[in-house]
Amino acid sequence: MKELAVSDEHELESRLIGTGVERLALLGKHADALMQGYSRDEVPLEALSDSALRRLLAARIVWRPDDQGGVKLAPRVRELIAEMLADETRRQVNADVGETLELLRTLVQSYREAQSQGEYWRQEQQLLRLRQAVDDLNGRFADAIDSLWQRLNSDFGFVSRLNDKIRENDRAQKQIVRLLDGLQLIDFDELIELVGSDGTLRKLLISQLQRQVSQHYTSLREVQSRLTELMARFRQQQSRSRLISGMAAFLREHPNFVPGNYARRSEVPDLINQAVPLIAAAAPALDHEPDIRVLTDLVHQLPMPVHKPQAVAAARPAEAEEQSLVAARQQALKQDVENFYLTVIDHPDPSGISALAYLQESDMEWGDEIWLFQVIAEYQGLPRSEQRAFRLHQSESRASRFNDLRLIHDVTLQLANSA
Amino acid sequence: MIEHGPLLERLLAGEFVCAVSDDRAFRRLEDEEVREQIDTYLRPLNRRLATNAEDSVYFLAWRQLNDEAREQLSRQLGDVLHSLMPMLEWLQLMQEAMGHDALVAPGDVLKPAELSARCEDNQSLREQLERLASDTFFGSQSEQLDAQMKQVFKRLKEHGYLLQPHADRQVYLVTGKIDYLVDLVRLIRDEENLPVDDESPQTQESLL
Repeated sequence: MKELAVSDEHELESRLIGTGVERLALLGKHADALMQGYSRDEVPLEALSDSALRRLLAARIVWRPDDQGGVKLAPRVRELIAEMLADETRRQVNADVGETLELLRTLVQSYREAQSQGEYWRQEQQLLRLRQAVDDLNGRFADAIDSLWQRLNSDFGFVSRLNDKIRENDRAQKQIVRLLDGLQLIDFDELIELVGSDGTLRKLLISQLQRQVSQHYTSLREVQSRLTELMARFRQQQSRSRLISGMAAFLREHPNFVPGNYARRSEVPDLINQAVPLIAAAAPALDHEPDIRVLTDLVHQLPMPVHKPQAVAAARPAEAEEQSLVAARQQALKQDVENFYLTVIDHPDPSGISALAYLQESDMEWGDEIWLFQVIAEYQGLPRSEQRAFRLHQSESRASRFNDLRLIHDVTLQLANSA
Repeated sequence: MIEHGPLLERLLAGEFVCAVSDDRAFRRLEDEEVREQIDTYLRPLNRRLATNAEDSVYFLAWRQLNDEAREQLSRQLGDVLHSLMPMLEWLQLMQEAMGHDALVAPGDVLKPAELSARCEDNQSLREQLERLASDTFFGSQSEQLDAQMKQVFKRLKEHGYLLQPHADRQVYLVTGKIDYLVDLVRLIRDEENLPVDDESPQTQESLL
């Protein structure tokens, strides 16, 4: 009798496996149509034959919400795809702990019964299902946490507007609260009582589950605090943006607005207290022996200044020299003429002294013309009172009969009172 | 103090030091001990280290506010107010041109060529840029869109709001001084009780 049941169970199992493989294959076979159903609202029917559609409906991969409507993906399949793609816009966070706990209790009881009745195969089966239930619970938390991290690390990059990011963040935070509530439902005191002294169950439901649950707690708390931080940043961004646009709008409306002079208040706001720039200037100094060598090296390293061929700087000193030479000659001429006047004063000759004769008698090398010019210029340059002390006689002639130009041949200087 | 020499020099010269403009210096300034050392050093110069509300940017403030300092602050405040409207308009232009609903923030990368291209295709952005660039604060004389954008970026770099990591590449980074500007706007709003709201309607709802 027992043998028969076992073989029935085996048969059932192999039939399940067969159907499962067949139906999983449907997913691959119609992947294109199913993915179109995922990205749009409905599964396009053109690509599917009647029998294919019937098989997909029977496998509950697709369903028909109402008779008139089209064919849509089954919620579980949609979730599966979202999970496989880590598609955060559609990924569900669903950790219904209560139901799982209920399942665990039932399975533990069946396991116990099988054990007490010595049905080892059934006991093994129950243990396997228990393991799977614990793994599922664990996996659901791990998936949910993974999904939360994905959203967090991408700054909710799957939505672009700040408002959407804020809403998504809010939704994620609510999910965390639900997940944490779920974890809280797992009462280890109750589980300890439930498993009793059975070593296998104890290992599975107490030590393993406890370790996993505590890991999930830590992860969830971490994600939660990071989400709160991110939310604060989103809100801050939103607030900055609103502040700037609000202020710009205000200033546009009130172009003559002038805020108070905060610098004149007794309490100057910290923010506007900004000191005037101070440049820490320095110049080469030669009062420090070791620096001199450094400075010398630096000077040597300076690129040689390149002079252009017709350097103005080179011409200048020569020009100045010439100028100073002319000035010196002019000064000498003036001095010699003054000496001539002194001679006239010292030797009061009633007939006067001829300037040209004086020049020829001396060893001076002035030209006649320039000498006479200077003697006349000196006379005209004297103050009127002193001029009266001298009498300057010009021996002159007309240039020609037709030209009244007067040519001065010589001048004779005499003291006025000696005449 | 020796190791802080270059940093002190930059601060004294009136620079704003943030994580973008000089990450290493900024991290050093986050250390309270270093800040105290620098403050002690600055005492005879009548200066102290100051920061904004979020501690995201450091600069030098007067330690004692004497008449001279107040005079200088008044002038400076005048300059800031003169630049306020063009700066706000620039912030809005960047936000719109990039299609963001957040302001540019420290560390954001801005490429004038890309922004010019966006303005080129959009009459409203084009007009905004034109108005902005010809403001005396930016002082562009050009009628060419590219040249206007370039001039605007050049001025923002001079004022320390942007950083150009490579002199030969037209790529700019937004510095922490932008935070300072936003803080300043908030200060004026609060001091003058201006009807400018920065809370989102959602949060207001949740307060009710």
